[in-house]
Amino acid sequence: MKQDLDTAPAGAVAAPLPWWGRALAGGALAALPVIVIGLIVLMVAPGWVQNLTAMALINLMIVVGLQIYSGNSGIVHLGHSAFVGLGAYGMAILTTPLVMKKLSIPNAPFGLAGVELHWLPGAALALLVVGVIAWISARVIARLSGIAATIVSLAFLMVIHSVFLHWPALFKGNQGFFGIPKLIGLPELLLAACAVILIARLFRESPGGLQLRASAQDQKAADAIGIDSRALRRHAWILSALVCGLAGILFAVFSGTISPRLFFFQQVMLTLAMLILGGMASVSGAVAGAVILSLVLELIRNIESGVTIGGVTTPALLGLSGVALGMVIVLCMALRPQGLLGHREADDFLEKWRVSRTPGRNDRRDENATR
Amino acid sequence: MLRLETVSVQYGPVRAVRDLDLAAGAGALIALLGPNGAGKTSTIAAISGLVPATGRIMLAGEDISRLPVEDRIKRGIAVAPEGRRIFANLTVAENLRMGAALRRDATGVRQDTDRYLSLFPVLGERINQHAGTLSGGEQQMLAIARAMMSRPKVLLLDEPSLGLAPLIVARIFDFIGQLKAEGLTVILVEQNAAQAMRFADQVCVLASGRVSYRGSPADLAGADVMKLYLGDAGM
Repeated sequence: MKQDLDTAPAGAVAAPLPWWGRALAGGALAALPVIVIGLIVLMVAPGWVQNLTAMALINLMIVVGLQIYSGNSGIVHLGHSAFVGLGAYGMAILTTPLVMKKLSIPNAPFGLAGVELHWLPGAALALLVVGVIAWISARVIARLSGIAATIVSLAFLMVIHSVFLHWPALFKGNQGFFGIPKLIGLPELLLAACAVILIARLFRESPGGLQLRASAQDQKAADAIGIDSRALRRHAWILSALVCGLAGILFAVFSGTISPRLFFFQQVMLTLAMLILGGMASVSGAVAGAVILSLVLELIRNIESGVTIGGVTTPALLGLSGVALGMVIVLCMALRPQGLLGHREADDFLEKWRVSRTPGRNDRRDENATR
Repeated sequence: MLRLETVSVQYGPVRAVRDLDLAAGAGALIALLGPNGAGKTSTIAAISGLVPATGRIMLAGEDISRLPVEDRIKRGIAVAPEGRRIFANLTVAENLRMGAALRRDATGVRQDTDRYLSLFPVLGERINQHAGTLSGGEQQMLAIARAMMSRPKVLLLDEPSLGLAPLIVARIFDFIGQLKAEGLTVILVEQNAAQAMRFADQVCVLASGRVSYRGSPADLAGADVMKLYLGDAGM
């Protein structure tokens, strides 16, 4: 019996790939519906649908970023939008043309009013800022687990949001920061979303990701085998922040205008609902939740303003999308708290289906887990 | 191989283990018996570094008392904790990988995986199943195999027979006997005194954190064990 830990041993179900191969193949499978939808929209849809799809892709990146920390550590993260905002503002401050800055932030500190970087160093520097702030906050957050970590992540969001609002010389306060160069469109966002899905899957399947998932399931057992959960939570927090920061950077150079309210509770709840719907524990779940909820919410927004069906016009139902978002969270938590995909990835379902077609299999996956 | 010198464990005002001395050579199996709350699990936690303890813990001549858990594992201490505590949502293969989390020798890890899968063929058959779908006996086998994946010199086994059918318990104890024969030192915490005494070289009965009896299993007849459990007999 020659069996390999990384290349799943011979047994009933053989998986001949090392962890990174499995991660890349599984990530590609999870990204497939995104690519298909994105390409169809690119080829046939009008401009406004392309814009909606682009925004959905940015949300998808944020959800996948959130999954990196929450999905692997089992801790609900409510502060991820702060990193999206930091990325967006970092990019805006560093790359907005000087002529626009004279109008928006003429008194920016540290000489930033006179800085106009090319998009690449600008993005790199913005990501570096996100990384440094993530590293500092990780020193605190990684010490905590459970509800304490969730509360601290929320406090972190409040702090960053407050800084955005009350430092107008740098962030322009409550007003929109405009004049950011619009550099990208749907194709770039599609590529970035696929890259982010692969990164998240690579982390999930890596030895560190696996150890973090194990410690989330049973901290005492993880301690007993020497897993350093604190360090792993720190790594996940920083990687999650970088992915969310990247989404923010891309959002800034896609929309051209940002404001603090975009990176606050509404975004937190939207992306959290997406993750809960799809299933926090898997990257495929994050992708599925983002895709499904983006489509459903768009449909609801149309109903919200009243629709005409067979000559009958329904009344406007303002606020319906907010109600729907809340209901998604409530219903998921009540009926399927593990989300649509649970802790399985898309390739796990494919493998299960493949095995179910193999004659003489000896697989008891679905038997009673409590024996 | 393993020596404990006046080891004590204290939880707030409660002293769970009091000045415990213990010595186990290579290939020895010491059974820690005693009623609930006697300090058996705390002793194991102290050896593995999961709870702070006073006194000295020596492994192969080295004082490991002040080392963190991971360094003790690297030096050869492994725990199969009470209640198995396998990672239910990870596969059998992933659980085994977790046991080797601190090892860097990929080839050795592969060889050990092969070995434990051949010793527990049922785990090999279920290698890609989530561990939560295994039966209680299979989960216990996985817990021991996972602990063995760190290549320990000393295995700390906490209640391996808990809640298992006698036939499964016998198989698990056969396996423990085999590991012992290969030179592994085993500290076994057991409620199932009869089973433990069958394999033990030395029996240590704890009561309220102190050793109330220490000797060979042969000296400890069934009736006496009951007395010790009830606290009638001392040293």
